[in-house]
Amino acid sequence: MENKSLMKKITGSREALLAVILILMIVIVTIINPAFFTPKSISNLVKNNAVTMVMALGMLCVMLVGGIDISITSTLALAGMAIGMLIKYEYISSTVLAFLIAIAIGIACGLVVGLVISRADVPPIIATMGFMYVYRAMAYLISNGGEWASASALGTFKDFGTSKFLGLNCVVWVVIVCYVIFFFFMKWTRTGRKIYAVGSNPEAAEVSGINVRNIKLMVYTIMGCLAGLAGALQVAVYASAMPNMQKGGEMDVIAACVIGGVSMSGGRGSVVGALLGALILATIAKALPLIPFFDQLWLNTIKGILILVVVVMNVILQRTADNNALKRREM
Amino acid sequence: MAGKSGRSINNVPENPIKHMLLSWEGILVVLFIAVNIFCIWFSEFYNVSSVLRQMPVYLAEVFLMLTMAFILVLGEIDISVGSIVCLSATISCIVCNSGAPFIIVILTALAVGTVCGAINGLILTNFPELPPMIVTLATQIIFRGIAEIVLGSGGSISLSNTAGFKAIAGKVGKVPYILFLVLILGVIAAIILGKSTFGRKVYAIGTNRVTAHYSGIHVQKIRFIIYTVMGTISGLCALFIVSSSYGANTTTGEGFEMDAIAMAVFGGISSTGGKGNIAGGIIAAFIIVCLRIGLGQRNVHSQVILLIIGLLLVLAVALPNIVSQIQKAAKVKKS
Amino acid sequence: MNKKLVSALLCGAMVLGCVSPVAVQAEEEGVKIALVAKSAGNAFFEIAAASFVETAEAEGSTVDIIYPEEATADAQIKSLDNLISQDYDVICISANDENALQAKLEEAMDAGIKVVSFDSAVNSDSRQVFVNQAGVTEVAQALMDAVYDICDGEGQWAILSATSQATNQNAWIDAMKEIMESDEKYADLELVEVAYGDDESQKSTDQTEALVTNYPDLKCICAPTTVGIAAAAKYLQDNDCTCKLTGLGLPSEMLEYTGDGDDYSCPYFYLWDMQGLGTLAAYTSIAIANEEITGAEGETFTAGDLGDFEIVAASDGGTEIILGLPLEFNPENVEEYAELY
Repeated sequence: MENKSLMKKITGSREALLAVILILMIVIVTIINPAFFTPKSISNLVKNNAVTMVMALGMLCVMLVGGIDISITSTLALAGMAIGMLIKYEYISSTVLAFLIAIAIGIACGLVVGLVISRADVPPIIATMGFMYVYRAMAYLISNGGEWASASALGTFKDFGTSKFLGLNCVVWVVIVCYVIFFFFMKWTRTGRKIYAVGSNPEAAEVSGINVRNIKLMVYTIMGCLAGLAGALQVAVYASAMPNMQKGGEMDVIAACVIGGVSMSGGRGSVVGALLGALILATIAKALPLIPFFDQLWLNTIKGILILVVVVMNVILQRTADNNALKRREM
Repeated sequence: MAGKSGRSINNVPENPIKHMLLSWEGILVVLFIAVNIFCIWFSEFYNVSSVLRQMPVYLAEVFLMLTMAFILVLGEIDISVGSIVCLSATISCIVCNSGAPFIIVILTALAVGTVCGAINGLILTNFPELPPMIVTLATQIIFRGIAEIVLGSGGSISLSNTAGFKAIAGKVGKVPYILFLVLILGVIAAIILGKSTFGRKVYAIGTNRVTAHYSGIHVQKIRFIIYTVMGTISGLCALFIVSSSYGANTTTGEGFEMDAIAMAVFGGISSTGGKGNIAGGIIAAFIIVCLRIGLGQRNVHSQVILLIIGLLLVLAVALPNIVSQIQKAAKVKKS
Repeated sequence: MNKKLVSALLCGAMVLGCVSPVAVQAEEEGVKIALVAKSAGNAFFEIAAASFVETAEAEGSTVDIIYPEEATADAQIKSLDNLISQDYDVICISANDENALQAKLEEAMDAGIKVVSFDSAVNSDSRQVFVNQAGVTEVAQALMDAVYDICDGEGQWAILSATSQATNQNAWIDAMKEIMESDEKYADLELVEVAYGDDESQKSTDQTEALVTNYPDLKCICAPTTVGIAAAAKYLQDNDCTCKLTGLGLPSEMLEYTGDGDDYSCPYFYLWDMQGLGTLAAYTSIAIANEEITGAEGETFTAGDLGDFEIVAASDGGTEIILGLPLEFNPENVEEYAELY
């Protein structure tokens, strides 16, 4: 009996199912290569995917209101490049200030995107595609036509990527703090619930007194803010700022959210789901080179197939869950 | 009324000529002329023969726009086309190098494209809950991944016999074949989308899928056909891409999907579905192509060109909306 | 409102149309050169480009640097199309793909434009001459000796490359494998894997980590690519790995990681003289445009302060000019070079 209810719980909740998939993957990879599952290796995994994980939170908010943002990695490059150049030419040296500037640039970028989407009713995919080009071009232009800010030019800023606090890497702490804040924000604050309300039914939300436009503006600003933060993290983790960093990475962020059960039509998805989705993707990327019998050339194909399998499985299980619910009602 | 005009379905025109000028297509035609005047002023090398000579590489992407328009009208998106171009270019190069007659090469390219498109279609119609963006994102990675595997280490292949591909890159006088082909396919696509029952059904699905389903339209069948044809056209695009580079590599076709979407959207085809027509898309495509050639001829930094195109894209969609909002506000004030 | 928009656009167009082309085309004596990059945002290329421009302008020529949209052959084809429409004397190109540009470059040569390739070659049919930064065998030999030295003559080592289709990297890797097979000296070295980091920091880090975990006894990683070597150096140094690193990198990127002892991940690494490459490419372009040389084997010319160079046969059947041996950067000189590039 107990077994059955556990099964029901797993098939009933996306998050539980994803957790099972993730644990299965980790177990399989650890059996093949025990070096995968050590505290250091996991900390490195989070650190190396911090950028994707942080931005997945913003993408969650954006997708909850039924939008999408493909300009984020361009925002990331602009913010990261800006602080990289500022530090390189010694306008600033404080790490905190650098983070604040990156976040401010991110917020400004997000605000513009949000205004265009919420006030001028431009479809999100189009608006963010336009700004994807615009922000990326700006990142190239402020790099003085292709300079890099490399490790030696970044002074004390790059130490953030290697220093530890309470035994954990600072970058890992940033990711944890972000997830904790968002977990509470989305679940227990009025604004967080408003985002869900707008996503599930914009008309009903409008009627019930929620300013839908402002909520939309807010989610894109949050997204920009996190993309700016991710820009600073990217520079800190890899100790180098280049204008073409993370090009194409927005698709990984979107994939992480969708694998995590966030619906692209809005209203459905959770912080835990986004976390699990991002972790599954990170595990795939890290595990494939560790498995000895795969040719490196197969890496991308397998990644693609795995994404497809996970989302299709999600749908099939959702269908069975719905069917079961229907049957129960009939009885 | 759906589909007659890119921007407004409800307007009943009092004066057909005035209506035509004020429609999105009218504005685009004016913009097209303006861009050309600008380019002639801007670049001393911008003339009919230089534009016709440079055009073929860009025109291959216009093929993609034609079918992408159908997908956007459905309210969906396909971001795997660039990878389909890559895979089908790779396979057709291999077939060509094996000594097969050129007609077989053409058929291979189209067949590979069609199969890829059909795979997209099959997944999307069997699991209609899945968002097209995420499915085509996965297949985007997979198709390019397969091309990477086929190409092996080294990652590129070049043609040993270029005769066939040289032939399709040929010209009538100064006009390349591909321009005729784009225009012919453009007219066909415009007729199918604008005048046929099939086109009406596509608009119906894009406007409201549930209603379309209940009014007896085979939604999934139509989606399957469109995604499959998108694949076939990507194969066609691949042929012309190969004809300009005499080979293929793992980066062939990268970013084509975004270019195709940008052209269509700039042409007034809404990504939210149900709106727009092919004529707008084609005029917009030529605006973008001419602008790129004109700016490129004066060595404007490629990132600046992308910045301009990005801004144009946002403005093209935002301005009409803002204008109509202001109009609405003015009306409210009057009453 | 729409009407206003249209009229505004029309007015704009008219104004633009009326301002007739202000063709201030000064009579140019010098050679007109187009320098085509792989893509924008490549610090590596910028160094060579800066000295290219300096040299060419000192010689009275004009240089335009062209950045394709992306680091792909497709994007370079579009850029080349633009250049053929203009009136350049020479195109000097660092190619994204060896063969894909052949059709366009042949078209350029038919139009009377000379083609020089540098940094990354195009095939022999599509160029007059290739300015080679350092011979493939010389680079491979230097790297191989570094690996031999770091491993103390025996043990496991691995390669972390850029993408699987990177022309230069593949040539070096193949040459290294050849050297390893042909000489008994390297018999105790075992090349365990060639990994590809795609020149992305994130993927290069993943790949480095996988190499270190898969092969605990790994003694040396050789990364013949700038992004890869920096990412690997950071990973190895942050995690106090015993595995050491060498390869090809920029001194400014590698300054933090270069040093003797266990605190640093990279004892020494190589690169060629990037500024010299730019200067030599500039002199070659000008010489070819002025028809002092045609790109045939055996011709010689003087490249300013760099001295005399001879055109020699290249392994791909074309001709090339070799700049010299790769430079070694070690803890003594890396700081000095980091100021330069």
